[in-house]
Parts: sequence; C-alpha cells; structure tokens
Amino acid sequence: MITTGRILLGLALLACWEWGHRVAGNLFVASPMEVVQRLREIVEDGSLWGHAASTLWITALGFAIGFFFGVLLPFLLDQSERATKAIEPAVLASMGIPKFALAPLLILWFGIGDAPKVVIIAFMTFYMIFISTFSGLRGVDHKLIVMAKIVGADPMKLARDVLWRSLQPYMFAGLKVALPRALSAAIVGEFLVADKGLGYMIEHARQMGDTTGVFTGIVVVTALVLGLNWLLERLQAKVMAWRPKDASVAH
Amino acid sequence: MNAAAPLLEIDGLGKRFPSRDGRSMSPWVIQNLSFSVKDGEFVTIIGPSGAGKSTLLNMLAQTDAPSEGEIRFRGKPVREAGARLSPGLDCQIGYVFQDDTLLPWRTTIDNVLFPLEAQGRLDDASRARAETLMKAVGLNGFERYYPHELSGGMRKRAALIRTLVYDPPIILMDEPFGALDAQTRVQLQEDLLRLWEAGRKTILFITHDIAEAIALGDRTLVLSRAPTHIIGDHSIDIPRPRNLRDIYAVPQFAGLYETIRAQVQ
Repeated sequence: MITTGRILLGLALLACWEWGHRVAGNLFVASPMEVVQRLREIVEDGSLWGHAASTLWITALGFAIGFFFGVLLPFLLDQSERATKAIEPAVLASMGIPKFALAPLLILWFGIGDAPKVVIIAFMTFYMIFISTFSGLRGVDHKLIVMAKIVGADPMKLARDVLWRSLQPYMFAGLKVALPRALSAAIVGEFLVADKGLGYMIEHARQMGDTTGVFTGIVVVTALVLGLNWLLERLQAKVMAWRPKDASVAH
Repeated sequence: MNAAAPLLEIDGLGKRFPSRDGRSMSPWVIQNLSFSVKDGEFVTIIGPSGAGKSTLLNMLAQTDAPSEGEIRFRGKPVREAGARLSPGLDCQIGYVFQDDTLLPWRTTIDNVLFPLEAQGRLDDASRARAETLMKAVGLNGFERYYPHELSGGMRKRAALIRTLVYDPPIILMDEPFGALDAQTRVQLQEDLLRLWEAGRKTILFITHDIAEAIALGDRTLVLSRAPTHIIGDHSIDIPRPRNLRDIYAVPQFAGLYETIRAQVQ
C-alpha cells in the first residue's frame, strides 16, 4: 500500500513540475526530460562525482566534529549540576545566532578553503545533537542508573551501557534533523565560496542562466538527502532491534 | 572480626529531606530506627504505606545518606562521616527493586551477566553459574529474548538472578513481587526460598503483605508510621522447608498473623 502511495505521489509531483515548466517556460522551470538528459551527461563525463564527493566530504567532516562535541558536552555537564546551570543557557542562547551571518567572519579567520564551511556545518550539527543528547540524558530512567551503580558499574560502564543506550531514540530523532541540515549547510556554504561541490555546481549554473543545471543540482541534492535518510533508517532498525514493535503500525 | 557480631547493625538511623526551597528541613521520615541482622538470616519488614520503607533500603544500599545514626557492616561503619556514598557497598549489598529494572536493550542472559561484566568477573565459571541460575528459575530457552518479550513473572525472575549471580552477602528486596498475580507470586516466592535455602544469603525483604512476611521470613520487623521506627520484632518459628501453598494451615500462622496485623496500623 505504502509503495503504491509513494509512486502515485511521485508521479503527481512530476506532473506538476512538467505543468509548471509548460506554463512558466524554460528560463524559470526546467523541463524534467532535459534534467534527466543533463543528469546522464554529468554522470557520463564524471563531473557529478567530483562535486558530490567534495560536498559529502565537508559534510562528513563537519558533521563528525559537531556530533562529537554535541555528545561530549552534555555528558560532561551531566557530571555537575552547577556546570549545567552555568553553561546550558549560554549554549542555548548562542544557538540563536544565525550561523550564515558568521560566514564573512569565518572566511576572514579560516580563509576561503573548506575550513569555514566545515565550521558552519559543525555548528549546525552541534546544536541539534547537543539538544537531543541533553534532553535524552534528562530522560534516562533514574532507577536504571541506581541499579547499575549498585552492581558495580564504573562511570565509563554506566555511560556506555546505560546512558548511551537510553539516548538512542533521542539520538536518531536528532540525527534525522541534523543530517539534512548539515548537507544544506554544506550546499549554502558552497554558494558563498567554493570552486567545487554541488552548491558550487548549482550556483555556477545559475550565473550562466542555465536553469536546467540548477534543477539538476537540486534533484541530485534531494536524492542525496533521501539516500542519507534511508541509510539512517536502516541503521536505526539495526541498532534498536530490541524495541517492542508496535503492532498497529507494523502493517 | 568477632564471629558473634551481627552482619549488619542499624543504630539510631534517622532521615529527613531538605524542603523544596532548600532552606529548611521537612519532618523526620525515619527516626531512631535500630535493628541488627545475623548472617544468613531472612528478615521480612512490614509497615504501612508511606512508612519510608524504600528510604530505609536506599540508605542500607548506600544510594542515600542517613541524616543521623550509623550503619555497620561486619562491625565496621559503612561510611566515614562526610565521605562519599558507595552504592552497593562494593558489591556487598545487592538490591532487587520494586520494578525489574532490566536494561531493555539487553537480552535476558546479557542482563543477568551485566553485574559480572561491570565487576570484571565474567569468565567461564561465572557464565556457567548464570546458566545454572537461569535453569533453576525456568528461564532456560529465553536467554536471547528481550525483556519486553518476557512475562512480568519472568522479568522478576531475571532481575532476581541478576542479583544472585554475583553473590552479594546481603540482598535487599523492595516489594519485589508486589505487582504480580497470586499464582505467579507463589511460584516466585518458592523459587526465592529454594535459592535462599541453597545459598543462605542474608535477605532483607520489604513487603506490605503480612502473609508473605510470615511465609518467607525467619523474623518479621514491623515499622511504625512516620517518623518510622521498629515497633515489632517477631521470630517466625515455622520450620523449613515450608510449604507456601499451605502456609495458612500451619498452626503458628494464625497467631502470628493476628499479632502482626494488630501492630500494622
């Protein structure tokens, strides 16, 4: 049932796109068929892979850094109520700073290479993961912590076998938001300053007045996000196999 | 160490909590509570609800600090004044909670092995011991099941042997069979007595069920309402092994039940 629904929705969207193309014309909305044609070209001449690899590389790097600190900081804060009271409001307040407004500053500090983009992606990821980890740690069943301490678990064992595992539902919720955002941050970063990457590819096409190129880039980025989500869901199903399956949504 | 010294001595124990605003103290929950427990004794503790039973066990388990008084284990105070708590007293005190507190992401066997893992004592001998215990309570065949796939009674059994597997000299039990149906409850009581008679651990078992307190214990302590202290200390002279299904028919039962019921108010 679900697959039939998805196919119908996909066809409907495609029909809208085609209709939009016919109404608005080539300059504003590229033709789906031409996008498919362009996609084939950039796959065949290999230029797609270079751009995609570049974008994925800075996304992965920034994401890894943001994820690491986004998990580490709440675990450290968990050790001390006072540190939490001092630091948590500052972290949440700084979340309000629009990250892209910092771009000129980051370019000034880190140059026009990958570094400023990686920093922005890391920040984006950090806040999402910080919030899921922080609220996740608050939600850990206190009785499980007491039990683990009584049977002799040291802080490392407690963190790994009780806290980290309790966090996982929160973590996957955070990842599902953070991963597409990280990729978006990479693309926007590449709009601003880059000589390769999917963001550069899209921006370059726009400057050339190549609407088909812009649309092709968007299709590729969308496909990447869908692919990442799919991987994430596979991972979640594997890691959280212990969870009771809800019979009402299973079929 | 003096062989005659009690295993556990509770001396003038008191507990009060800071009020919500942290500026003053609430009334005493427990005050001037004293008793001692001999090695290998099965002590049941009964009291009205709100009598601070769980608070008492938490202090014994070293997960909460007494406001006054002292706890001695094998004649020595468990904690120097102002020192940090050591939950479980270095694995000397086991605790079977009211809820099963199984880790939902671990299979039954991995839950049972968790304490051994945490203590770095996981080897072939301890694994074999875990398997023997699993078999003794009828959990063999369910090793690879997750807690949510087990019945309430099976989860209790798993929680019970998770504590027995690392062999702490003292085991605290906080109304462990409270939420079970009558049939499962008797089965678990039988399992517990059988395992206890084989190993003779010291057990402090809290319950609000007078019949259960009599059926299981060598001795039953009765707690007062708050501020809680001991108002009754009854020796249960029913010979062992006991038949739990006919415990009501034992001649001593009715007298003990009446005496204790009169105290539990």
